Formats: sequence, C-alpha cells, structure tokens
Amino acid sequence: MFWQFLFNGFVTGCLYSLAAVGFALVYNTTHIFHIAAAGVYTAAAYFFYFAAKYLGVAIIPAALAALLFAAFFNVACEIFVYRPLSRRNASSMVVMLASIGSLTIIVNVIAMLFGNETKIIDSAIASSFRLGSLIISQPQAWQLFVSAAMLAVFVIWLRQSTFGLKARALGNNSALFAVFGFDAARTRLGCFALGGVFLGAASCLSAYDIGLSPHGGMPVLLNAMVAMIIGGVGRFFACIAGGILLGVLQALVVWQFAANWQNAVTFTLLIVFLFFRPSGLFGSRTRAV
Amino acid sequence: MDYLLHIGVMVNIYILLALAANLPAGMTGLLSLCQAAFYGLGTYLAALWLLPWQLPIIFIAVLVMLFGGVVSLLISYASLKLKGDYFILATLGFQMLVFTILYNWTDVTHGPYGVAGIVGVQIFGWGLGKLSSVAAYFLVSAFFVGMVVCLFLHLRHSPFGRLMKAVRDDEIAVQALGRNPDRVKFHSFFLSAAFSALAGLLYASYIGYIDPTSFTLDESIFILCALFIGGVGNVKGPVAGAVFVIILPEILRFIGLPDAQAANLRQIIYGLALILAMYFRPQGICGEKGVLRL
Repeated sequence: MFWQFLFNGFVTGCLYSLAAVGFALVYNTTHIFHIAAAGVYTAAAYFFYFAAKYLGVAIIPAALAALLFAAFFNVACEIFVYRPLSRRNASSMVVMLASIGSLTIIVNVIAMLFGNETKIIDSAIASSFRLGSLIISQPQAWQLFVSAAMLAVFVIWLRQSTFGLKARALGNNSALFAVFGFDAARTRLGCFALGGVFLGAASCLSAYDIGLSPHGGMPVLLNAMVAMIIGGVGRFFACIAGGILLGVLQALVVWQFAANWQNAVTFTLLIVFLFFRPSGLFGSRTRAV
Repeated sequence: MDYLLHIGVMVNIYILLALAANLPAGMTGLLSLCQAAFYGLGTYLAALWLLPWQLPIIFIAVLVMLFGGVVSLLISYASLKLKGDYFILATLGFQMLVFTILYNWTDVTHGPYGVAGIVGVQIFGWGLGKLSSVAAYFLVSAFFVGMVVCLFLHLRHSPFGRLMKAVRDDEIAVQALGRNPDRVKFHSFFLSAAFSALAGLLYASYIGYIDPTSFTLDESIFILCALFIGGVGNVKGPVAGAVFVIILPEILRFIGLPDAQAANLRQIIYGLALILAMYFRPQGICGEKGVLRL
C-alpha cells in the first residue's frame, strides 16, 4: 500500500508542479500575485469540457485547444487587468485586489454558464494496468507522462534559450532590463502566455481524471503557491521539486492519518517555511523577505 | 418589517467586520486574508462555551473580544517577521488552518454538521422583554456598532490613529521619530481581531446555527471586497461598503433570477465593482483619498 500512496502522491505532485510553474512564470518575472490564475485554470478545464462534450472534438485535440485558450486567457488578464494598473504604478496591494476581483468574475461567469456542480468528462471507468504491486490508471499514466515531458522540456529550454534568460533578467530587475533596450512588455506577455499553457495543462490533466467544478481552481492554486514557497521563490526548478515534495507529503499524510488533515499539514508547512526558511529548500539565499 | 430588521442586523454585523478589517488593511497598511478566521473563532467560542452559560452579553462580549485579540498575537508576530507578499501568504495559511481545524476537529466543533440550537443573548439576565427577537437583535447589534463607530471616529484623530497611519505611510520615518511601529501593528491587529470576534458573537446568537463553511477564505475575501469597494482609511468608507454588499443582493432579488444564478450574478457584480474601484476610484465609494497608491 505504501508504494501505491507514494506513487499517487508523486503523480499529484507533478500536477502541482505544473500549476506552480504556471504561477511562478508570472510571479518570478513580474512579481504580480496572479490569483486570477485560479480562474484561468478553471476556464481551461471548462473549455476542454465544452470542446470534448458539446463540440464532439476528440480528447487530445480538445486538450491542445484548451492549452491555447488558457495561454490567450492569461495574456488577456495581463492586457486588460495588470498592464493598465502597472502603467499607473499601482502598488502590489491594488494589483492583488484587482486580481481577486478578476478571479471572482471568471469563476462566477463560468458557474452561470455551466452550473455550480461538478462535471465529468469521461464517465466510463478508467482502464488501469498493474506494474508489480502498483495499480496505475490510464489518466494517471497520462498525467505522469505529459507533466514529466513538459517540465523536462521547460527546464532545459529555460536554460538554453534567450527567452529563458530574458525572463530571468526581467524578474531580477525590470527597470534595468528595459534600460538595456529589451521590450519588457513583450517578455511579460511571453511569460503570461507560457504560464497559461502550464496552468491549462495541469487543469486539463486533472479534469480528465477527476472532473471539474467552477470552484476547483483555488485549492489547486493554493497548493501551487505552497509548492512554490517550499521549493524556493525565484527558481523554476525549485518549484517543480516543491510540487512533487508537497504531493508526496500529502499522500503520506493520507496514508498515515486521514485525508481531511491534508490541508492542515500543507498550510502548517507553508507557515513553518515562511518563518524559518523563507528562501525555500532550493531558493537563492540573498532574497530579502 | 422583520425582513428590513433582518437586513439591518446583517448590515450591522458586516459594518463591524469591515471596520475591523479596515484597521490593519486601511490604517496600518497590512493586507490580511484571515479576517474570517477571527470572525469564525469568535463565533465558535461564543456558540460552544459562552452563550450556553446565559451570562450577561457585555461579559460575553468582553471575553470573546479578548480571545480574538489573544489569537491575533500570532498574526501580528508574523507581521513583524514577514513583509509584503510573504505576510499575506502567512495570513492566508492561518485562515486555511483555522478553517481546517473548525471543519475537522469534530469532537469539539461538530465539524461540518455545525452547531445548532445556539442559545440567544441575555441582557443583564432579563432577556429583551416584549420586543420580537429580530428587533431585539437589531437594537443590540446597533448598540455595538454605534459604540465601535464612535470609537473609530475618535481614533482617527487620536495620537494612536495618527501613529497607525504613519506606520502605513512610512515605517522608517516612524522609527526615526522614536516610535515603535511593531507595537502599533500589535495593537491594530489586536483591536481588529477583537471586533471581528464580536461580530462573530452577534452572528452566532442571532442566526442560532453555525457551520465552518461560513468562515472560509472566500468569506475573508468577501470582507475585503466590502472594505475596498467602500473605501479604506476612514469610518465612512467601510460602513458604505458593508451597506453596499448586503443591500445589493436584496435589490437583485427583485429582478427575479433563479436563486443559484442570482448568487453568481451578485459575485460578478462584487468582482466588477472591486476591479473598477481599483482602476478609477481607489478610494472606493467614500474612503480616504491617497491610501492606495495608484
């Protein structure tokens, strides 16, 4: 049983990592506390659901379309909400409140269109296969495969490409970045788009497995934030490690205690890290708190 | 008439909550996402232990407020150590922890079943005579709100109120002038939590049934919505915000949407109002100008 729990936790952790990378792509580069990311997450899942159920698109093309949609949606958040505010040098508190407002609107528009209840995309019982004593369901295999591939490609690409370098430079000092003649606004848009893709991926993979509801985004986003903090702010690799660690830890809590204490452990962990190791496990130490 | 009085009681409760949230967020400049946690803790303390004893309401109110204040020490300690987003995350963590405990510690809090049949308040041991219970609660809550509003009106021009605003505007300058900003933060959170807990006491005794889902992160966000739509920094703003968020659904009721949709529409309007306020009118309906830097 232990290995099964460990494996399940690892897969959940991969999804947290995806969402955490999606959140961190915005937070690390623009320092915007993008709470509306939970809305983007939900919207992507519903787009996926709508395409697969109502338009009759096959699962994989529908998911790919949902990723694209999430990217556009995230970019729209930047263009319509954050950019006008940052032009006026709004304080981070104002930006965060506007983000909370956007989240409220997105979630409730979705709830008005599709209803408040949980929807299921594929109602058949998922097939599963055994690997030794492990039981791996088909959605889990997808989750593991897709997220591992995306995260690996992302980490390598971020190290090698100019965009990765630009993104890190923007996060370090946006004023200096602009002084060197780079287009900060365009790089920001790139980060938002890429962040949307990751949020969308996490969303579709989880919606395919356990279904979707309008209010499902916030809990995932909270876990992603905790993953980002325990991994370490400022580094994408740390986010991934933090997500997997959090997933495994939560699974072990379920194994040893009960599922309803998962959140207690998660947020105790958050507070402990904030107080005693705010730079996270792998973060750069120099960051001021 | 009872319907109007009911709305009146709810408005009073939310005025208390918004004024309480205004202390850290509007006066001292610390955004906290755990106002509903203090509200919930006050509610549960009152419902489980204080109200069944049938003590006079003033006595219960003092105990509940003290309890809220003592719990707030945790948050103010966090506010000393953590800055900016990290502090907001810590308050968020605290909010989630309190909710999880209220929800899962079933032996004490009855968990998701909630606490039913809460005994109402007694005023000096006599009850409230011939008044209908809604009217009585309206008077009691109006009495408390009146007290708190007077206190806050006084606070604005008192040395303590000015000190809070100074901490909000420039913490280092406050230190340079020989004042201790840490103490100000402790005081402002203590008062904020105390008044939130007081609102909890009123809520518990008025509604008579509580369950943890009234004290989620969403409730914290809702309180902040009320505060920031109304405006921060002074007394008018939070009061206007609380009135707005409570009256709005009652107006929407007359449009005749189905219940589920009406709830969603209401939320959409709150969200929109919050964003528009942030764009065009950061001082809210009638808050103090220049508190939120744009």
